[in-house]
Amino acid sequence: MHNDPDTVNSPAHPAAGRLFVTLFAGMAESVGSRRLEIDWNGGTVADLRHVVGRERPGIGPLLERSAIVVAGRYATDDTAVACGADVAIIPPVSGG
Amino acid sequence: MPTQQTAARSADEPGFGPRPGESGGEVCRLVRDPIDGAAVLAAVAAVAAPEAGGNVLFLGSTRGVTAGVTTLGLDYEAHEPLALAMLRDLAAEAVRRFGLCGCRIVHRLGRVAVGEASIAIAASSPHRREAFAATEWLLERIKTTVPIWKCEEGHDGVRSWVHPGDMRTGLGGGE
Repeated sequence: MHNDPDTVNSPAHPAAGRLFVTLFAGMAESVGSRRLEIDWNGGTVADLRHVVGRERPGIGPLLERSAIVVAGRYATDDTAVACGADVAIIPPVSGG
Repeated sequence: MPTQQTAARSADEPGFGPRPGESGGEVCRLVRDPIDGAAVLAAVAAVAAPEAGGNVLFLGSTRGVTAGVTTLGLDYEAHEPLALAMLRDLAAEAVRRFGLCGCRIVHRLGRVAVGEASIAIAASSPHRREAFAATEWLLERIKTTVPIWKCEEGHDGVRSWVHPGDMRTGLGGGE
């Protein structure tokens, strides 16, 4: 999963109306990329879950058990996600 | 226990001593090279002396066999900025909660071969009970809350990411 071509060669910032979502571990492996680009014109974390789940139904079960990080902080479903926000999906952790 | 001389030398090693802007009491690192547990313990003991009377080191390492199933190795990855921030918060809370003199947390990323350490937690306190309790407390919270993941490679070469629990309704983490 290192140096994914779609991550290395794509722009650092999404185009207007798009959002980059950073993926990790099994979720990144399922999608085949560490970064998912979705249509986005603003909304909440709950909206984001809906859009990601619709675009990538294969990760739905893991997404249901995952947390969302917005701007470096764990977010709740009513947290606002602006266009261009720094967003990551955190699947259940297993460090240690 | 390391001698005072050993402790002083190890505390200067890159990785386990405080960097500019860090408290000397709590130091957390994400590393890609093998963890030298003795150096981690020596670093925390050096900072904590002379108040410390109990210095505990926990090393978590890759098991080669789990319930009869062979593991060839583990690969770890993390949301590094968030993981490091959370480790620092946990270490600071452990110092407050258990009255520690010092605390070190080092988690390895990348490939960790069987027998090698993936995590080192060192706690130093005036008395042993608090150091043992803090180490256990920290490990449980790291395993269930900090965004670090392991991928197991089985004896047949099949790799599988480990995603136990539920980050929304409870916590992640497992054995």
